[in-house]
Amino acid sequence: MNAEQIGLWAGFVFTLMIFSYILGDNILYRLAVYVFAGLAAGYITLVTVEGVLLPWLRGTLLSPDAVGVGGQILGIVPFVLGLLLLLKGSPRLGPLGNIAIAFIVAIGTAVALVGAITGTLLPLAAATGSGVRIDLVNGFLIFIGISSTLVYFQYLARRQPGGEVRRGLVVRAIGALGQGVVVVTLGAIYAGAILTSLTIFSERIGFILARITGG
Amino acid sequence: MRRLGAVITSALVIGIGLLTVAGLVVGGDLGWLSAIVEAFRIRDISGIFLQLAVITAATTILIGILNLLVVHLRRVGRREKGWAYSLLLVISALGVIILAVLERAGVLASEPPLTTILFESVQVSIESALAGLVLFALVYGAYRLMRRGVTWPKLLFVLVLLFMLLAALPLPGPGLLASARDWLMAVPVSAGARGILLGIALATVVTGVRVLIGLDRSYRE
Repeated sequence: MNAEQIGLWAGFVFTLMIFSYILGDNILYRLAVYVFAGLAAGYITLVTVEGVLLPWLRGTLLSPDAVGVGGQILGIVPFVLGLLLLLKGSPRLGPLGNIAIAFIVAIGTAVALVGAITGTLLPLAAATGSGVRIDLVNGFLIFIGISSTLVYFQYLARRQPGGEVRRGLVVRAIGALGQGVVVVTLGAIYAGAILTSLTIFSERIGFILARITGG
Repeated sequence: MRRLGAVITSALVIGIGLLTVAGLVVGGDLGWLSAIVEAFRIRDISGIFLQLAVITAATTILIGILNLLVVHLRRVGRREKGWAYSLLLVISALGVIILAVLERAGVLASEPPLTTILFESVQVSIESALAGLVLFALVYGAYRLMRRGVTWPKLLFVLVLLFMLLAALPLPGPGLLASARDWLMAVPVSAGARGILLGIALATVVTGVRVLIGLDRSYRE
């Protein structure tokens, strides 16, 4: 029996251990889950070191072509920021960790902002606009659906003379339509998730049967 | 001193954030803005910032994994409840890393590599089995939905769910169900998904602008 066959049998055993959860939480399931978490941690470490950190170090600190001391200092900066993050646990030195947090928040915010505008807002607005031109009825229905969904997600309301805060009748009516559209979307996504997991479950059952019958 | 630190972090976020936005957005056709970006090489600077953020994020991942191992080793050392599971986790994690180091050093040589076999046979098998197990949770969740009162959104949700599952069956006939499903996916579901995505994007833009102009300073806490 070679390493690949041993691997297949190990996969068979672990699949059965995971499926034992159908009968309730048990020791076999927990063993498999802890092995899974350990392996995942190991693989994430390998990918992070080999795919991200080593190329960075080879390009900066360890590179003979690094642009002077500046290039080498640049190589250390992320590790210093990482160490500063570790200080967040200390009550006295914790504020130093805010520098690293500030750096990550700044870059993350900038990327998210640009991504939201150029990757979501503009393309979806353009697609909705062109949809109306291509198919008037369905395009218009999509436009109504999008608008009502956005109205459903807004919580601005006016204070009534009696002191009660509630949205206007028109906004509530459009919001109800939007809620319906969101519910239909979530129902379809839920059905998609069930069908996907059913497909994966069938594949696993096929794998177990193939191992047992030797196919 | 604490106030000075807060000012420095706010200045860092605003300065680095705006520079990165300028580097990512400003193209060559925006007149004086493009000239400034070109003159101060802001595009190169924002590129370096992005690289630094990626490497910092990778470093934090390693710190997180190190923390995971330390926590579980502590559980093993103190013989806390479930320490055997923790030991298994540490052995699995270190096992993969040691195996990879031995492979890279040329001590272990096999085709395909042992780490690949371990990944494809064990890791992927467990992942697939867990994903398959989600089926039961989803079906049970849908079953329990109507047990705590019937409202029109719940009823609509279950109707759409059942219709989509029914329409996925390969039934004989003219395919009316499939046509209705295709329309449902192309119009209301597409509209809802776009609405949700647009809502998320608008909220991201609002939060991003608040952070970049210094109105939102939750990172200082």
